[in-house]
Amino acid sequence: MGIEVLEVIKQASANPGRQVQEWKQRTGGKVIGFLLTDVPEELIHAAGFFPFGICGGSVRMDRAEVHLQSWSCSYVRNSLALALNGKLDFLDGLIVPLTCDSIRMVSGIWKHNRPLPYMGNYRLPMQVERPSAKKYLLGELERIKRGLGDYRGKDISEEELIRSIRLYNSNRNLLRKLFNLHECNPDVISNKDLYTVLGASMVIEREKLNRLLSELVKSLEDKTKKPVKKTKLYLSGTFINLPEILDYLDESGGAVVGDDLKNGFRYIEADVAETGVSPLESLAIRQLKKIPFAGYDVPSNPRRYNLVKEAQRKKAQGVLFLHLKYCEPENYDYYDNLQALEQAGIPSLRIETEFGETSPGQLQTRIHAFMEMVGGENNVREKEL
Amino acid sequence: MSEKKNFKTAALMKEMMRNYYAQGATAKEKGIPVAWVTAVFPVEILYAAGIFPYYPENFGALASARKVADKLSLYAEAKGYAHDLCGYARCGIGDVYATEHPVGEILAPDVIFCCNTQCGTLPKWFEAASRHYNVPYFLLDSPQIPDQPEELITDYYVDQLKEMISFLEEITGEPFDYGRLAEVLRLSNETCRLWNEVLDTSAMKPAPFGFFDACFHMAPIVTMRGTPEAVNYYRALKEEVDERINKGIPAIPNERYKIYFDHIPLWPKLRWLSDLFASHNCLVAVSQYTHSWAYSFDLERPLESLAENYTEEFVNRSFEYRLQLKMNFFKKYGVDGFVLFSNRSCKPTSLGLYDKRSVLNERTGLPGVVFDADMSDLRFFSEAQILARLEPFFEQLASSR
Ligand code: SF4
Ligand code: SF4
Repeated sequence: MGIEVLEVIKQASANPGRQVQEWKQRTGGKVIGFLLTDVPEELIHAAGFFPFGICGGSVRMDRAEVHLQSWSCSYVRNSLALALNGKLDFLDGLIVPLTCDSIRMVSGIWKHNRPLPYMGNYRLPMQVERPSAKKYLLGELERIKRGLGDYRGKDISEEELIRSIRLYNSNRNLLRKLFNLHECNPDVISNKDLYTVLGASMVIEREKLNRLLSELVKSLEDKTKKPVKKTKLYLSGTFINLPEILDYLDESGGAVVGDDLKNGFRYIEADVAETGVSPLESLAIRQLKKIPFAGYDVPSNPRRYNLVKEAQRKKAQGVLFLHLKYCEPENYDYYDNLQALEQAGIPSLRIETEFGETSPGQLQTRIHAFMEMVGGENNVREKEL
Repeated sequence: MSEKKNFKTAALMKEMMRNYYAQGATAKEKGIPVAWVTAVFPVEILYAAGIFPYYPENFGALASARKVADKLSLYAEAKGYAHDLCGYARCGIGDVYATEHPVGEILAPDVIFCCNTQCGTLPKWFEAASRHYNVPYFLLDSPQIPDQPEELITDYYVDQLKEMISFLEEITGEPFDYGRLAEVLRLSNETCRLWNEVLDTSAMKPAPFGFFDACFHMAPIVTMRGTPEAVNYYRALKEEVDERINKGIPAIPNERYKIYFDHIPLWPKLRWLSDLFASHNCLVAVSQYTHSWAYSFDLERPLESLAENYTEEFVNRSFEYRLQLKMNFFKKYGVDGFVLFSNRSCKPTSLGLYDKRSVLNERTGLPGVVFDADMSDLRFFSEAQILARLEPFFEQLASSR
């Protein structure tokens, strides 16, 4: 049964638009897309809209290059290319999180070329530890909530928001369980399948997702397999945009035990408190406490040390940096991240890819070589088993 | 050809900037903290607190103008910083690891302040610097403002200014002096007023002063606004420009067209670029870049007014707002065409220009062109490519008259 569910999810991931189009036809509802990362989807969902995560897809990039220079982030170019090539025609709206210059600039370009009835930005605070950050963020979330309510023609009520928060929390909880199952026994669900499910969770109706994930988790929990020793890896960076990378890890005996990626653990890491404070404040607190990423450094929890700490806690034998070319935030962090890892004696490999440009084949050898270097012994043992 | 027309004031500026850098070099001995700051930053507060503000962007521009950006960049690239990052940042980071310092060493900070109104590069670069120098880092966060200013953002900025003032009090060990701030703001107002009066003369026909002159004379408005020296300087410059108007000395020999230019110039090719325009009788009259420093502070409500002025900078505004701004400049300066520089170094000013070119052309009927290059790094400069873009533009201009 679990296998069938996995198939359903894989299909959703292979053709993200189909699910949402079916939903639209069935319900007559509206779809609000969002770019990654950190957009408070709970607000979109609370308004009764379908939150659709734009995670890139295969599409000709040339139509985007008329609008965006070839040296801007390829995730942003790819997203715009999807829209310009009619692959996102089901969207009624879009929310863009302003985390870096490429993404902050695409917002206006998108609006100019593919205007949608609802278009907004999520201007998350870029400092998170001073009191001003929380006060501002509450105002910003309130603004988005009001905007979505206006678009619907009816304010989002507290009950609606609480309901959506609950649903999302249980989505995340199931996804984390899945992550944990993989971590404990990578043979139960492969790297590739794990990240496929994570990505698909951004494009499947969230109520349905809960049913699918519950079934999947249950069936996998029942699977009794003797854990095989694998080489543990931590992934750091922006995106997994080439699923082949996960194949290479799978075939070379690697098991991802943690990550800080936008379409990985960062997406499911933190829940929103359901009691105690107002739901909006809970959303704000979640944002302020998220794991460090390249958007901004957090003085009390510097990203590089967090990376080392997490890698050590998860007993990772190596770190794989997955960077997008032209991603400035990651690039400015890289040197110091690397220094911190080297001081801690953790080997790493940096892979730079570009949506629409990189052919995965050339990465295979490098990844295999790295895997052999960091976990040679495990890999040998695995082959013997 | 421009040699004979150099402004007398230029000598004054050179001396002033020399003093400014000397102050930086001796600040440490005198126990004055050195702070890194960004170009669009409420530096008035630092001047009021008696802290020396140092501009790493200025260091980058200087290295670029001296044509050594690529050399410094290589040191940064060797550490894994890619050559597609902002050239100023690459110069600043590269110099830290360089064995040779062709434009002197970048000044080490005691504390780092940053405002992200301009871009996302500055905070990332300055974070990296704060790790390298192991000094405190303070970000003044300035979220993007859409078409109209928003109270939410002004309030957030004011809250942060208060946080920053407490932070400064800890550094200096002294209570912040609002009386001093009022005086600095007054000087800053005066500096901005004079500077904009000078810029405005570019609308005259023929004009005594143009964009390339402005690029040359802008260092004090960026680094020293809020000081009496800056006021004196722009007063002298204003007098000299007035004198030129009286004597009928134009900025270029045969001004026939006025051009709007976006945004930062090509520093290592400044002379080449200005001669190119002049040779086609084009006066580059205006750019939003040199007009960035047009603040007007209300001394009665200093923090609110600082917040409004600094968050409402064009680079922090929406696509449509920036189009309007450009069109206002077109009108005010009576331009005949526009040239948009798609600058690899600077995404926040360059992304969107491809679309803006056609929108501006449709809305105003003026000819316009976009060209690609880099403001600092000659490795991304191709004379032939730029000429291939600009020559047809010049022809279009000529045929439009
Ligand atoms: S991948 Fe990097 S450059 Fe691209 S949108 Fe994300 S943070 Fe910005
Ligand atoms: S990215 Fe642009 S605004 Fe930012 S420091 Fe570089 S040139 Fe200046």
